[in-house]
Amino acid sequence: MTPEEQAGQQAEVVELPAATRATDIALDELELVYAFIYARVGNRADAEQVALKAIPRLRQGAPASAIRGYLFATARSVLGGFWSTRLGLSEAELREDLALAVPSSPPSKEGVETVQQVLAQLSDNYRRVLELRFLHGYSLKEVAAEMQSTVGAIKVMQLRALRAAAKLRMPE
Amino acid sequence: MNDKPENRVEKIVQDLLRGRRLKLRGGDAEEKAAITAAARLAGARQGPQRMSSGFRKRLARALEQAPSEGWITRRAALVAGLGLAAGAAGGGVLGRALEPRPAAASVEPIVPMHARWIDVAAMSDLVEGQGKRVTAGSIGAYVFRRGDTVSAVSSICSHLPCELSWDDGGHLACPCHPARFTPEGHPMGSYGLPSLNPVHARVTAAGRVEVLGTE
Repeated sequence: MTPEEQAGQQAEVVELPAATRATDIALDELELVYAFIYARVGNRADAEQVALKAIPRLRQGAPASAIRGYLFATARSVLGGFWSTRLGLSEAELREDLALAVPSSPPSKEGVETVQQVLAQLSDNYRRVLELRFLHGYSLKEVAAEMQSTVGAIKVMQLRALRAAAKLRMPE
Repeated sequence: MNDKPENRVEKIVQDLLRGRRLKLRGGDAEEKAAITAAARLAGARQGPQRMSSGFRKRLARALEQAPSEGWITRRAALVAGLGLAAGAAGGGVLGRALEPRPAAASVEPIVPMHARWIDVAAMSDLVEGQGKRVTAGSIGAYVFRRGDTVSAVSSICSHLPCELSWDDGGHLACPCHPARFTPEGHPMGSYGLPSLNPVHARVTAAGRVEVLGTE
């Protein structure tokens, strides 16, 4: 095995139009990929780590229409690896939790609107606890005061609400 | 007390709401649904995110430098038999990668260093029209019988280093993304993936199937 073959990195090819600067096209497309990744890991540090691993291999000369599908397929796979590693599960065990649809356009809705749309499908208490925490940034204590309950009870309710939210389809 | 699932998930929610990275540990898999939902809610509440200018520059540098660097390739995974392990290793194995050679190189037959023929099955074990997963040392392959001859392709996807499975529709399916390949290793669908690497296979006079693999 040659030195260049030794560290086992995965290679990917994305064909780009010869007439355009490949890096600029890739960066614009990677913005969409980054938003896609961020929406699934919920923080910048992890989103950057995953996005770096999703960098494609560039090659001149083919239709740009293939780029986005390729990038998202790569991003999805890398996200699979991310969750698999963090949770200590095989990717097969995670498959049911990974969105398989490839978005063809950037996310169109504003974040808060997206969250509200999802939460509206939950029961009142579940919706309320997740709204207060994720949209209003309340602490558990503040949520407990608002909902006239105890911190312990709200903590359990939050867990159950998140489990219920996981069963809902998030808009792409 | 901290091991109660509601406490663990609360800690993770706190980190997410403070913009910290996900620090997960053994046992968190039990709450994978709640954790991934929390991450998505935390991500969605801020709306579509753009890369910071610093990170965009970092990506640009990586993209521009990539073709001239000796990145490691999927081929290394094929020969080293990394397969799924590479896919799950996170921390730094998957993906960036830019092999300087053109994609056509990836359809070359696999010839391992110190290659040797490995007995993998009896010809009578193979059923026409069905792929059989075999291992020849570090080489994983699907072997196909056609009459009195055999052919074989790598069991590793040409897109990501994931182990293919034989599906009921007569194709090799990748578990990591919606990609399938014919028994000849040709990609199906619109992704335009490279073909699978062929693997050398032969039938001996004694009716045994051998694959060119490693010790």
